[in-house]
Amino acid sequence: MTFVQKTHLHYQLLALTGEVDLHNSPQVRKQLLDIVKSGNSVIVDFSALTYIDSSGIATLVEAYNLAKNKQLSLTIVGARGAPLQVMELTHLNKVFPMIDSLDEIKG
Amino acid sequence: MTSSNKSIIEVNNLVTHYGDRQILKDINFSVEKGEIRVIMGGSGSGKSTLLNHMLALLTPTSGSIVIDDVDVVNANRKTLLKLRQKMGVAFQGGALFSSMTVGENIKLPLQHHTQLDEHTIDIMTRLKLELMNLAGFEDLMPSELSGGMLKRAGLARAVIMDPKLLFFDEPSAGLDPVTAVELDELILKLRDAMNMTIIVVTHELESAFKIADKITVLFDGEIVITGTVDEIKNSEDIRIQNMINRRARDEHLDADEYIKRLTTGKN
Amino acid sequence: MLTVIKNKIEHLGDVGINLVESSGRLGVFLFNILARLWMYRFPLEETIKQVLFIGAKTVPLILISGLFTGMVIALQFYDTLIRFGSVDLLGAAVAMSLIRELGPVMAALMVIARVGSATCAEIGIMRNEQQFDALDCMAIDSYHYVMLPRLLAAIVSVPLLTAMFDTFGIGGGYIVGVLIHGVSDGAFLVGMADTIVWNDVWMGIVKSFLFGLVIMWICLAKGFYLHIEQKQSGAVGVSQATTQAVVLSAVLMLFVDYIVSSLML
Repeated sequence: MTFVQKTHLHYQLLALTGEVDLHNSPQVRKQLLDIVKSGNSVIVDFSALTYIDSSGIATLVEAYNLAKNKQLSLTIVGARGAPLQVMELTHLNKVFPMIDSLDEIKG
Repeated sequence: MTSSNKSIIEVNNLVTHYGDRQILKDINFSVEKGEIRVIMGGSGSGKSTLLNHMLALLTPTSGSIVIDDVDVVNANRKTLLKLRQKMGVAFQGGALFSSMTVGENIKLPLQHHTQLDEHTIDIMTRLKLELMNLAGFEDLMPSELSGGMLKRAGLARAVIMDPKLLFFDEPSAGLDPVTAVELDELILKLRDAMNMTIIVVTHELESAFKIADKITVLFDGEIVITGTVDEIKNSEDIRIQNMINRRARDEHLDADEYIKRLTTGKN
Repeated sequence: MLTVIKNKIEHLGDVGINLVESSGRLGVFLFNILARLWMYRFPLEETIKQVLFIGAKTVPLILISGLFTGMVIALQFYDTLIRFGSVDLLGAAVAMSLIRELGPVMAALMVIARVGSATCAEIGIMRNEQQFDALDCMAIDSYHYVMLPRLLAAIVSVPLLTAMFDTFGIGGGYIVGVLIHGVSDGAFLVGMADTIVWNDVWMGIVKSFLFGLVIMWICLAKGFYLHIEQKQSGAVGVSQATTQAVVLSAVLMLFVDYIVSSLML
C-alpha cells in the first residue's frame, strides 16, 4: 500500500493505492489524523484502492468523527469493487459523503 | 499435488480414530477460495470430528490437510500461529470467556496479535457488533446474553480480524427461525463483501440449501457425495433422499420380538 | 472362576495404566506451564488480577479459621501445660505449632476449599464450553494466558495467607490464654519471641509456597483434562473432577508437608 497526499482546492487529497489492512492502517491513521488536526478538510481517493479491511474502515470512522467535531469534512471519491462492498456492508456509504469523481467538488 | 491452485483447503485420505474406534474413513475433498461449503451429516457421521481436524485441534491417524498452502498436520508452531490468525472459528455455544465483557471478548484477538491503536480496536469491535445486530451490547457479560446473542457474539469475535477462512459449527442450532435466516444472510454478505471462504457444519437443510455453493454429505465417517444443491436434491442415493425428505430410517418390525421387548424388557 | 480372576487382574492392570498415564499427564502439564515463563513475557496484569481473586477474597475465611484454630490450640495446650505447671510456655507452644505446622496446613486446606474447588470448576466449565478450543484457534496460548497467572498468583498468595493465619491464630491464642485464662501476657509474648527461630518461620514459608504450587497445579489440571479423565461430560463431569481435585490436592499437600518437615526439622 502506498499513499500520496496533495492539495486539491481547499482540501487535502489523500490517494490510497493497493490494500489497506491490519499492518499498514496505522500509517494511514496517522496521516489522516494529522491532516484533520492541522485544520484541513480531507478527500480520500479510493480509485486505486483494491482492498480495505475493518481496521482501515475504523480509521476512516475515527478521522471522520474528528473532522466533524472540528466542522471539517471527510469525503470519499472513486469507491468501487471490494472497498465499496465493505462500505455498503457496514452501512457507512450512507454516512460518508461518497462521490464518483473530483469534478463533483466545486471550488 | 494435483490441486488446482484455487483450492484453499485440500483434505486427502484423512483417517481418524478415537481410541480404537475409527471415525473418519478415507476422506477426500477440496474447497475453493471464496466458496461456501456446507458439511452435512447425521449425528455420528463424523462431521464435528472432521471440523476439529481441519482446525488442527486433533491429529489424524493418517492423511493430509492443507489449508492455504500450509500442511496443518505437520506444521510447526509459528507457521500454525500465522495460519490461525487468518482463520476465524465460530463455536456452537459462542465459547465466550465468562470473566470478560462481550466487547473485551471480541477485542481479544486484536489485542494479542496486532499493535493497533485502542481507538481503532474499539471502533472495529463496534463495527462487528453492529453487523451482528448486537449494537450497544459491548459492556454486558456473556451470562447476560441469550443463546442466539452468544452465537452472534462468538461470530463477531471469529471475524474481528477479517479472516480469509471462516469455520462455523452448527450456526442455526438453538436459534429461532427468524434469527436463523438473518444469520444465513449474514454468512452470504460476509462472503461477498470480504471474499471469505466459509465452511459451515450443520444439519439444518433449509440453511444449507440457501447458502451453500457446494454440500459435502457424510455418512458413517465417509463422504457420500460432494455436489451443488441441485446435485444433492437429484441424488439417487437412498440415504440422501431420506435426509432430504426427513424420513425416519426404515426399520423392519418383528411382531413377536417387539411384544417380547415391551412386556419383558429383554432383547 | 478363572475368568473372574482374569477380569480382576485386567482391571487392576487398567487402574495401574491409568495411574501412570494421569501422573505423566500431570507432570507434563506442570512443565508446560512453567516453560511459558521463559517462552513469553511475564503475565503481570493477569497475575495481579488472580491474586485479587485467589488471595484477597480468601482473607476473611483465613482470618476466621486462623482465629478459631489459635483459640483451640491454646485451650488444648493450656489444659496440658497446667498439669506440669508450665503455662508460661503457652505462647511458645501455640506459636510453634502454628508457624511450623498448623498454619501452613490449615491455610492450605482453606485455600483448597475456597479457591481449589472454584478454580477446578471454572477451568472444567471452560473446557466443556470449548473455550480452550477457541483460545487454540485464536492462536492464544492457554498455558500462558490462563494457567500461568493462576499458578503464580497461588505461589504468591498462599504464603501471605498463611502468615495472616498464623498472626490471627496467635491472636486467638492470646485471647484464650491471657484474656480468658489469665496467663501472664509478658510470659506469653516473650516466651514466643524467645523460642521461635528463623528456621521455624522459613519452614512455614517453604511449606506454604509448595502447598500453593501443588494445590493450584492439581486443581488446574483436573479441570483442564476433564474431557480425557472424566467418564461423564457436562455438569456431572465438572463435579467429579472438582471432588477429585480437592481430595488429591489435600492428600498431596499432606505428603509434601511430611517431606518438608522431615527434611527441615
